[in-house]
Amino acid sequence: MKLLAIDTSSRTASCAVVENGILLGEFYANIKLTHSCVILPMVQDLLARLKLSVNEIDCFGVTTGPGSFTGLRIGLSAIKGLAHALGKPCVGVSTLEALAWNLGFPCLVAPVLDARCSQVYTALFSWEQDGTLKRLSPDEALSLTDLEIRLKSLKSSIYLVGDGTELCYNMLQNRIPCLLPSPAQQFLRAASAAFACEQAALQGKTVDAGSLVPAYLRLPQAERELLAKNKH
Amino acid sequence: MLSVITHTPEETEAFAAQAAKQLSPGDLIACRGGMGAGKTAFARGLAKGLGLKDRVSSPTFSLVHEYTQGPLPLYHFDMYRIDGFEELYSTGFFDYLEQDGVLLVEWSENIADALPENAIILEILSIDETTREIHLEGGPF
Repeated sequence: MKLLAIDTSSRTASCAVVENGILLGEFYANIKLTHSCVILPMVQDLLARLKLSVNEIDCFGVTTGPGSFTGLRIGLSAIKGLAHALGKPCVGVSTLEALAWNLGFPCLVAPVLDARCSQVYTALFSWEQDGTLKRLSPDEALSLTDLEIRLKSLKSSIYLVGDGTELCYNMLQNRIPCLLPSPAQQFLRAASAAFACEQAALQGKTVDAGSLVPAYLRLPQAERELLAKNKH
Repeated sequence: MLSVITHTPEETEAFAAQAAKQLSPGDLIACRGGMGAGKTAFARGLAKGLGLKDRVSSPTFSLVHEYTQGPLPLYHFDMYRIDGFEELYSTGFFDYLEQDGVLLVEWSENIADALPENAIILEILSIDETTREIHLEGGPF
């Protein structure tokens, strides 16, 4: 099965094609350009380099959130459009789960995406000795303070990954044993998203284009009230 | 701080056009000032000063207008109806912050806690029917 996955959910835009556990190709950009201008030409170029026609793709994957409001809509629209036009199945995975796929050796992982105003989107995963990824907590938005409380309670060293890594690492490094992946694995990559999607597809979690929806996350209550309080 | 007294909307526009020359990509102007204070005149001047050819109008109903026909884009927000973090998120405001344009935010009081620390504060005070006292503070001002 050939699977094309794209990710535009945060700072980076990327696309990748995987087939039966092998990465065939990946394009990635971390520049301040509108994802909507970048992603489809990127897909077109990648397929051309791989000498693949879009008709040869069996399944379309995308990160469905949490993440940037505009970014999620761009990624989902692109994948829904491709899958709908070609009558192929799609599969969506959590942005945070896709980030956890940047690692892959036995460890604890806390993916962190900057949700602004001292908040992060986060979850907790464990890569097991047998090579499987186990989810330990659901995707949620936490204040940095609550993230610290959570990570402290683990009493174990933990890998941070995602565009909120620097923010969290600087805040936590003296109090919690945080580890960082290699710089090449710090941000979300479509290759990781593609492998997460491939696994989900093999578990039968594919849907038709119309059923794919973004997973926006509610932000902490206190923060929402704080904004409103300033209204004159 | 940069301050001026203007007597007509045209003078406000001219002042904004001058101020625009000092802006760089990523700057955010947080505007305070009530209805009819001259915010749209200021926005018009800003767009002109940035070399934009777009027609400028108040984004009250659409929340954001993008002016992109020029070298440095201007994203013009009106936060009058924004009431909380969720709503702000769904305007795409945080995504615009990541882009290399200038942001002008009307009714920035409503999103005070979400403004970046280096925001430029724009205050337009109505002295009488047509006279305005304008202050720009922060960033290059």
